[in-house]
Amino acid sequence: MRVTQGAFSFLPDLTDEQIHTQVQYCIDKGWAVSLEYTDDPHPRNTYWEMWGHPMFDNPDAAALLYELNECRKQFGHGYIRVVAFDSTSGWESVRLSFIVNRPSEEPGFRLSRQEVKGRSIQYTTTPYTTDQPEGQRYR
Amino acid sequence: MNEQPKSLTVTGKARYAAGVLEYKKMGYWEPDYEPKDTDIIALFRITPQDGVDPVEAAAAVAGESSTATWTVVWTDRLTACEKYRAKAYRVDPVPGADGQYFAYIAYDLDLFEPGSIANLTASIIGNVFGFKPLKALRLEDMRLPVAYVKTFQGPATGVVVERERLNCYGRPLLGATVKPKLGLSGRNYGRVVYEALKGGLDFTKDDENINSQPFMHWRDRFLYCMEAVNKASAATGEVKGTYLNVTAATMEDMYERAEFAAELGSVIVMIDLVIGYTAIQSMAKWARRNNMILHLHRAGHGTYTRQKSHGVSFRVIAKWMRLAGVDHIHAGTVVGKLEGDPATTRGYYDFCLDEFTPQNLQNGVFFDQHWASLNKMMPVASGGIHAGQMHQLIHHLGEDVVLQFGGGTIGHPHGIAAGATANRVALEAMIFARNAGRDFLADGPTILAEAAKTCTPLRQALDTWKGVSFNYASTDTPDFVPTASVSA
Amino acid sequence: MTTSTMPWESGGRPSDSTAVSTPAIQKLETATVTEIDLAQEFESSGVRGVLEELDRSLIGLKPVKNRIRETAALLLVERARKALGLAHETPTLHMSFTGNPGTGKTTVALKMANLLHRLGYVRKGHLVTVTRDDLVGQYIGHTAPKTKEVLKKAMGGVLFIDEAYYLYRPDNERDYGQEAIEILLQVMENNRDDLVVILAGYADRMDRFFESNPGFRSRIAHHIDFPDYTDDELLHIATTMLDAQNYRFTDTARTAMAEYIGLRRRQPHFANARSIRNAIDRMRLRQANRLFESAKGPLGVEALSTIEESDLRASRVFRGGLDIDIARDAGKQESQE
Repeated sequence: MRVTQGAFSFLPDLTDEQIHTQVQYCIDKGWAVSLEYTDDPHPRNTYWEMWGHPMFDNPDAAALLYELNECRKQFGHGYIRVVAFDSTSGWESVRLSFIVNRPSEEPGFRLSRQEVKGRSIQYTTTPYTTDQPEGQRYR
Repeated sequence: MNEQPKSLTVTGKARYAAGVLEYKKMGYWEPDYEPKDTDIIALFRITPQDGVDPVEAAAAVAGESSTATWTVVWTDRLTACEKYRAKAYRVDPVPGADGQYFAYIAYDLDLFEPGSIANLTASIIGNVFGFKPLKALRLEDMRLPVAYVKTFQGPATGVVVERERLNCYGRPLLGATVKPKLGLSGRNYGRVVYEALKGGLDFTKDDENINSQPFMHWRDRFLYCMEAVNKASAATGEVKGTYLNVTAATMEDMYERAEFAAELGSVIVMIDLVIGYTAIQSMAKWARRNNMILHLHRAGHGTYTRQKSHGVSFRVIAKWMRLAGVDHIHAGTVVGKLEGDPATTRGYYDFCLDEFTPQNLQNGVFFDQHWASLNKMMPVASGGIHAGQMHQLIHHLGEDVVLQFGGGTIGHPHGIAAGATANRVALEAMIFARNAGRDFLADGPTILAEAAKTCTPLRQALDTWKGVSFNYASTDTPDFVPTASVSA
Repeated sequence: MTTSTMPWESGGRPSDSTAVSTPAIQKLETATVTEIDLAQEFESSGVRGVLEELDRSLIGLKPVKNRIRETAALLLVERARKALGLAHETPTLHMSFTGNPGTGKTTVALKMANLLHRLGYVRKGHLVTVTRDDLVGQYIGHTAPKTKEVLKKAMGGVLFIDEAYYLYRPDNERDYGQEAIEILLQVMENNRDDLVVILAGYADRMDRFFESNPGFRSRIAHHIDFPDYTDDELLHIATTMLDAQNYRFTDTARTAMAEYIGLRRRQPHFANARSIRNAIDRMRLRQANRLFESAKGPLGVEALSTIEESDLRASRVFRGGLDIDIARDAGKQESQE
């Protein structure tokens, strides 16, 4: 399967040049761009690991691509996403987020059903990969 | 009107002599009145009966929507009646519309109960719309003072938190209404939901009249829909939702259905406008308490919003609904099958999303409106739209909107999931192109064709609905158009 | 990065999707060009404007201006060659600016950043000026993040490292400067599209620095030497600076200024235009004090904008210089002139 979180997961994987255009768009809007990575793509896993702080002061997207390539050296086997934060009053949250690196194989999620009263079901989603301990996933 | 009559208010003993006095002489016409920052201002389009003086008509509207009755009553003198009288302070002829006038009327804040749309509307659109001396009456816009706005909860969740909960940023959300509207069994209904969500949509939606009918009772629908939502979520790694319509005959029934939706883990429930303002506010409070996004279908609004001479403009309904506290509101597509010209629709969208909406007559926005940090409300565009219009939709509607392709998803020649994928790919490609600095409106068809090279479902969608559009003249258009500049 | 399957290719229904070949979003197509009008390019890129402004705003610096003109021509031609498919690589653009303090290196770097931006060799065209302290940390593990932060800030523009030789301390093998040098070299090589580095400092020390760090030497394509200003040029600079602030010399003050320049040049810590700026600041101070103490009534424009000979003559430069002050406090010499 393909985890389709983020704004551009239905497009072919982005080249660095394409990533540059999107990151530059964010920077030019005054948003702080950052990188986050994970080996647990659960849809409710909000807090991926931060690869350094959001970049508040770098005018060119090359700075993010530089860090992306550093990040890939260590976590190229997992998921990496770009996250852009807007500090404008009334928003003060993420404005754009998209995946820029993903594992070569994505085994997907197990959906567990617990039958309860009145035909109701309680659902639990688990990434197959988290059956492995941290550090051994997607290897 | 260049020559407006000065104040005609009768004062002293004569004012309260028993009998009938014209409204404009009772203190409901005050051309020198300067509205206070805390006043609520209503702008009415009035069409007086033949021979009725427009100023008297405006004063009558002010009177009938506040303290007056048809005759003088001495009990006025037991009150601070000058404060409680609504004051018509300006009457302008409508540009290009004979016999119609814009009447500006100011209401003191103390005329209204805090935080109650029912009370506000009971005054402003209460008796007055049936008033005989008027042929027709339309509420065009309202200026709601910050002091009053602050007495409302506002959208239960808001656009920002909705996006945080869905983990979806930087692009419009995608939805589809399950079709056919009526007749599917719960089991078949859930199939449509699963296919559409798995294919790439964020949301599916019950239609306004899907409640609990013989062919599908509500509990069954909820169970099958949540199976579909969870299965699609596991298939994509995304948070998905389906608007479970909890509209029912009584508040007790609605609470029961909403509680069940929450129990099943749904992120969103839905209500129809026809349940009434009080029920809407109750559900908004329930949604805030239960971490639920609240979708509003504007069922029924066309009966009073569409005609320009009589009724209530949808922009006023949109304002009321932001106060009342819904998270989603259908606000037009511009290019689809339902009413809405671009400028007027932009006005509605601004009311949903702004922190502050400045006066903009071309968009039908008559007043500056401060929103006092009320959450933003997500506009929904639904009805007769398809992937081939993606560039126009993003151009007109921006990125904070739910684009709902019902027929445009379910009617895809290769199935519902293919239809959903076509929409999602078209959307992502268009947002990508916009961000990359392309002139996406002009290049729209090229961008879609490029994206279709790697996505067969999109190519099929483009072929199927090539050139489908609904080009009818709008009935509800702005009265002010930009005048040609002299530079030409 | 590995390509992975698209969502619509998995699942039950067989996919008749064509192979993933072209990304959905393509770069703007470049029309096939067969010839290029250099004069027109010179004009439309705005390079002419930058060069003319350089000529106008900087006094003297003839050889520097010539070198920049040559460099601009080279880059313009290189750009044309690229457009015609004759060149593929981004040329190496890293530079060294050598010369004594106050000879206009930072100012020219600013113009250079603008020039490179106009020619499309850097995307943003901003200038980030740093010294060793901005790049090198005091503790283990601090240097790499510091250097990277600076490099990222400079990406899209020009990084100007003043007195670059301080990065290298041959007497201390474990100096953290070495770490900064390694990262710098790596980025100068790998990110040539992203930033241009200008190393600046005294000519002799830069020469020694390059001798010990051949990595830098090989990565720097353009060396520009900034000569000292002549006495006449400095006098010209002085009157221009005064004029910009709405002051003017009396005839005798101007003569004193010429004399001052000759004397100051032979004294320690002479810094060309920077010394002139400092001298002018002192003159304005003395003029203000003179007016304050001697004025009997209201002052007019004339009095308030005139620098007199006495405002200069009080300077220690006329009494043999700053040796005493230097002995007392080396850091304050400039302000004591």
